[in-house]
Amino acid sequence: MATDDDDILTGLVPDPDAEPTAAERAHAKTFAELVDKTLSGRTPPAMSADDRALLEVATVIRATSGGLPLAPAKQRDLIEDVLRQAVGVGGGAGTGTSSGAMPGVVPIERARARRWAPWIVAGASTLVAAAAVVTLWLRTPSRPSAPAPPVARAVPASWTSRPTDPLIGPIPRERAGDAGARIDYIFADRLDGFRERRWSPGEPGSRGGKR
Amino acid sequence: MRLLHGVGEVSVASEPAGDQQQREELEEEQRQVSEAQQGNLDAMRPILERYARPLYGTVILPRLGDTASAEEVLRDTLATAVEKIRRFTWQGKSIYPWLRQIAINKVYDVHRQSKRSRRLADAMVHEVPVESDPQSHADAQLIADQERRAHRERIEVTMAQLQERYRTAIELRLVQELPREECARRLGVTIGTFDVLLFRAVRAFRKHFGERTAPGDFLGEHTSEERPS
Repeated sequence: MATDDDDILTGLVPDPDAEPTAAERAHAKTFAELVDKTLSGRTPPAMSADDRALLEVATVIRATSGGLPLAPAKQRDLIEDVLRQAVGVGGGAGTGTSSGAMPGVVPIERARARRWAPWIVAGASTLVAAAAVVTLWLRTPSRPSAPAPPVARAVPASWTSRPTDPLIGPIPRERAGDAGARIDYIFADRLDGFRERRWSPGEPGSRGGKR
Repeated sequence: MRLLHGVGEVSVASEPAGDQQQREELEEEQRQVSEAQQGNLDAMRPILERYARPLYGTVILPRLGDTASAEEVLRDTLATAVEKIRRFTWQGKSIYPWLRQIAINKVYDVHRQSKRSRRLADAMVHEVPVESDPQSHADAQLIADQERRAHRERIEVTMAQLQERYRTAIELRLVQELPREECARRLGVTIGTFDVLLFRAVRAFRKHFGERTAPGDFLGEHTSEERPS
């Protein structure tokens, strides 16, 4: 007799003596191995929905017959975990703390204070950070949106770029060959301006006072 | 044939204690609840230790059929109880019915979230009364025993509907927890044939188990009760 493997949960169940199909044998073996693992406490997390439904039935039968009591260690861990969480200490399963070894559980008022403590610290830190940002923002010189036109400073003419005509004047034809002397003259003039600016105290780029 | 009897009991004592002792236990429990409500959570520890096992073994696991989920639900139940202990009103009887109702609500939430067809859950919905005799000082024990008996009766009724070989396969493998080889030997079949027998037996059990319960009954279970969670 063929089984209705396509509908394991709701299909007809064959008689015990009915010949199983290959598919049913395979599924039965899979289920038997699941039961094996479950009985040894190694229930696999992943299985088909049909297998899970059947395994739940098997577990209910076992639980009702008293075969699945809550292990004392598991119970202890659960309770410790719950109490730790209740007082805001955190903690997790499997702490293994014995029932009497845990320090006295704090009253709920103090527990609530502990629970709020991280938020208070976080809030205070946020306020300090915000105040610092505001302070920095207020102290930062405001930058105009558009660059301001350069303002001409009143500086000596010797500091500025300028023509050499006032220095050399017209060059007579007979002195045309004295270009080297003129260059030396111009160089000396520019060097004076450079030195004056370079060593002038209080001027940008100057080295005033270190002469 | 009465199966399942004589196989381990869940830890709530079956022997009724003397009235005096029960009264003292109840007074002690009231004192612990009162202390917990005043903020001393350490007072909850004896209560949780006393009722964790019956909650797990008679309320949660039989309705879920999965040990991992049952442990999670137990943890949530205890956590909710600790968190909401101030809402509990002492009415002269044990806190156990209140804890039990929290657990049932948690189980309900698990089933609702899974959105699976839960014939198993539906079948376990026909509950023993939550309320026990207010004059009794052994509410927790009575309720747990009553609930355990109700579960066993349902299992036995279902088992009685199965064919003999299916019944034997379940008895050997799931109740006595004998190895497959031993089960096959006792039934005089190969291991492969026993696997098929057990597979069919559990399928048949599941079909019969849910037949007496209308779908959706599970949803109505907590409607008449205070919902603490």
